[in-house]
Amino acid sequence: MKIKGKTCSFNYILGLVITSLVILIVLIGFFYTPYDPNKMNAALKNSPPSLSHLLGTDNFGRDILSRVMKGAGTTYIIAVAIVFIGALFGTIAGALTGYFGGWFDEVLMRFNDVLTSFPSILLALVFVSVFGPGTYNIVYALGIIFIPSYARMVRSEFIVLKERDFVKNAKLMGAGNFRIMFVHILPNTKRVLIPSLLIGFNNAVLAEAGLSYLGLGVQPPQASLGRMLSEAQSYMLDSPWCAIAPGLMIILTVLGFSLISGGLENE
Amino acid sequence: MSKEEAILSIEDLTIGFAKQRKMKTVVDHISFDVKKGEILGIVGESGSGKSMTALSVMGLLPASAKILSGGIHFFGTNLLNLEEKELRQLRGTGISMVFQDSMTSFNPLLTIGAQVEEMLRLHSKHTKEEYRALTLEALTEVGLPNPSEIYNRYPHELSGGMRQRAMIAMAMITSPKLVIADEPTTALDVTTQNKILQLLKKMNEKHGMSIILISHDLRVIQSICGRAIVMKDGRIVESGTVTELFAHPGTEYTKQLMAAVPVLFSRSDPGQNEASIMGLKENANTNTEKKDNNADQSKRQEEILVIRNLNVFYPEKGIVFGKKGRKQVIRDVNISLKQGETLGIVGESGSGKSTLAKAIVGLNREIEGVIKINDVAVKDSEISVSRPQMVFQDPYGSLNPTKKIGWILEEPLKLQTNLGKKERMAKVNEIIHQVGLTSEHLERYPFQLSGGQRHRVAIAAALIVNPKLVILDEPVSSLDVTIQAQILGLLKDLQKKYNLTYIFISHDLNVVFQMCNRVCVIYKGEIVEMKEVRELFFSPQNEYTKELLKSAMATV
Repeated sequence: MKIKGKTCSFNYILGLVITSLVILIVLIGFFYTPYDPNKMNAALKNSPPSLSHLLGTDNFGRDILSRVMKGAGTTYIIAVAIVFIGALFGTIAGALTGYFGGWFDEVLMRFNDVLTSFPSILLALVFVSVFGPGTYNIVYALGIIFIPSYARMVRSEFIVLKERDFVKNAKLMGAGNFRIMFVHILPNTKRVLIPSLLIGFNNAVLAEAGLSYLGLGVQPPQASLGRMLSEAQSYMLDSPWCAIAPGLMIILTVLGFSLISGGLENE
Repeated sequence: MSKEEAILSIEDLTIGFAKQRKMKTVVDHISFDVKKGEILGIVGESGSGKSMTALSVMGLLPASAKILSGGIHFFGTNLLNLEEKELRQLRGTGISMVFQDSMTSFNPLLTIGAQVEEMLRLHSKHTKEEYRALTLEALTEVGLPNPSEIYNRYPHELSGGMRQRAMIAMAMITSPKLVIADEPTTALDVTTQNKILQLLKKMNEKHGMSIILISHDLRVIQSICGRAIVMKDGRIVESGTVTELFAHPGTEYTKQLMAAVPVLFSRSDPGQNEASIMGLKENANTNTEKKDNNADQSKRQEEILVIRNLNVFYPEKGIVFGKKGRKQVIRDVNISLKQGETLGIVGESGSGKSTLAKAIVGLNREIEGVIKINDVAVKDSEISVSRPQMVFQDPYGSLNPTKKIGWILEEPLKLQTNLGKKERMAKVNEIIHQVGLTSEHLERYPFQLSGGQRHRVAIAAALIVNPKLVILDEPVSSLDVTIQAQILGLLKDLQKKYNLTYIFISHDLNVVFQMCNRVCVIYKGEIVEMKEVRELFFSPQNEYTKELLKSAMATV
C-alpha cells in the first residue's frame, strides 16, 4: 500500500486507522460528551449497556461512554506531557554528552545509570509519596524517569553521527558546536527518535494508568483511564462493562501506536 | 567452443525488479559460457547488471528480483529448477563466491579459522584434526604467514588484504569447479590489489577451476582474464578475448570505457596497443603544456601553503580516567605550495595521507610544527574566510542526508559571510550551474542524486566560499571510470577558472599522474620522495616509490 508515494506495510496502515479513531474519540470528548461525565445518578447504578447509555453506567450511575471520552483525554494530555519532559531533557543531555564526551559525559551517564537501576514505577511511587499524589506530580515524576532512556539513545546516535564526514564538513565551514549539534546532527536522529517518542507515549499511558489505579495519580471525581479501572475493580464480576470500556481504550491506544512505530522503524 | 568444455552456460537470461507495478529489467536476455579452467572477466559500470548475473548463478538474488526467462546450466543441470536444498549443496562444492567487502562478509564474532573450517564441515566429513589440518593448509596456500596464528584471529585483527586472502581460502577449500569473484580487489590499495589478483591467477592455474571475475576496472580485467564480456544496461555489448578487446574495441561503449581509464603513465613496452599509445601522447602533450603554464604562474604567485617540520599525533584513549597517550602519525613533514599548483599525495592506506589533510584544514589539532596558509598560521586562525576547504572521499557521508542540496550549499555562506538571503540564493544558483547541475537539483535530498551528481554538489559546497586551497581526499575513487573522467575534467576547469590550488590525495597513481604537477609519496608518516610528476613517475629514486609504481603498472 502507498501513502504519498511511499510503500507502507499493512500493520502501519492498521495502526494509523486505529490511532486516528482513538484520537477522534478523544477530540470529540473535549467538546462534547453525551452526559456530564461526573454527574451521579443513584437510580442508574451499575446499569448494563443500553440505548440511552451505550456503554452502561458505573456504581455512581455515571455514564461510562462520557467518562471514557473525557478520561482518555486526561490520560493523553498527561502522557504527552510526560514524553515531552523526558524527550526534551533527555535529548539535550544525550546531545551534550554524546557530542562532547569526556568527564561531563562520565558524570551525567553515571547519574543516568543510577536512575535506571531502580524500577521506574518504584521511583515514581517514592516521588509521589514524598510530594503527594496529584496530576502534576505524576507528570513530573514520570517525566524525570523517562529522561534516561532518551538521553542514552540520543547519546549513542550522536557518538556515531559526530564522526561522519558531514559533521567534519560543517566544522570546516566554521559552524559552531551548538549549530552542529542541533542543526546538523539532531535531524539525523529522527529515524530512531520518532518511533521511540511513540513507544514512550505508550509507556506513559500505561504508567499513568498504573499510578492512577493505585490511587496516586488523577484524583476523583476526575476521570482518567487508570482511575476508571481502579474504580471498576470491586464490581468486576457484577458489572464487567465498567472495566472493559477503559481497558479496551488503553489496548487500542497502545496497539495503534506500536503498529505505527513498528512501521516507521522498518522503513 | 564445444558444449563439453563449457561448465556453466547461461542462456537468454532475463532478470527484472518489480518497481511500482512495472517490471524493470536489469539483465536483458544475456547468454554466455564459462569454459573449464578459464578466467572470464565481466566488466561494466555500476548498474550494468554484472553483479545481478553473478548472484543469479549463486541463487542469491534479492527477494524482489525475478528471473523472467532463460536458464543457467551448470554441468548440464538447470540451476533454476533445483530445490533450495540441492542449491545449498552446490554452493561451496560446485560454485563459490568471493565478495567485495571482506569486512562485512566475515562474521565478526567468529575466528577466521572457524569460518574457513565451517565451509569444509558443511560439505565434507573428516575428523576434527583433519578439518584443522586442511584449513591450515588452505590458509598457507593463499600465502598467509603464520597460518596457525591467523586461524585463531578475528576478522578485524587482519588487514584488508589478509582478509581477502582468507576469503579466497574459504572459497577454494572445497575445490569448487567455479569461483565467482565480485569486485574482489576494489576495496584494496594498488600494491595489495596486484597481489590478490596474482593469487587468484595462481589458484586458477594450480587447481584448474574456472573463475568469473567481475570488476568495473578494466585494468583488473586485463591483468588476469583470458576472455571478457562488456555489459551495459543489462545487455552484453561486446565479448571476446582480452587482447582482442583491448586492441580493437568493437563498440563505442567499450572505447569510451577504455578512454575513460586514466591513461597510463608508463612509457610502456613497445607492444602497446594503438589506442593507449595515442592516449599517452595526448596526455603527455597536455601535461607539458599545463606545466609550462604553471611554471610561469608559480613564479608570479606567492606561496599559499607552507608546512614546516610538521608532526601530527593521534590521541590514544586512556581507560576511563587513565593517562592519555598519543601516537605519532606524521613525522617531520615539509611542504610548500604555490597558488594554482596541484600537489598529489600518494601512499598506501594507513600511511597518514588523510591525517595530513585533516591537520592542514585544522580538523586535527594534535600537531607540532608550523602550518601557514596565506602566511597565517593555522593554530591562530580558528575561522578565516580563506580557510581551506575539503572534498571528502564519499559525498554520501559528507552531505547531510536530512537536508536539501540548496540548504547544504547555503550553509557555508550563512556561517562565513554577511550576505542576505537573496544574495546567498544567487550565489547558490551560480555555483550549482558552475558544477554542471541545474537549480532543479537544489530541491532534492542527497540520496535522490546519483553518485556523480553528489560529487558535483560536494565540490560546489567546497567552492562556494571562494577558498584558495582545496583539499581533495580520494575524490573519485568511488566512481565509475566514465564519471571519474567527468569529475576530473570539472576539477580542472574550475581550477583554471578560479586559479585554485589543489592538494590531491589518492591511491590511484593514474589519476594522480593526470591531475598533478608535483607529487609527494608518503610511507609510514614520512615523505619519502617529492618531485615533479614526470620526474617521479619515470625516474623514481626511493625503493618504496619504485615498488608502488611497479605494482600500479602491473595491473595496467
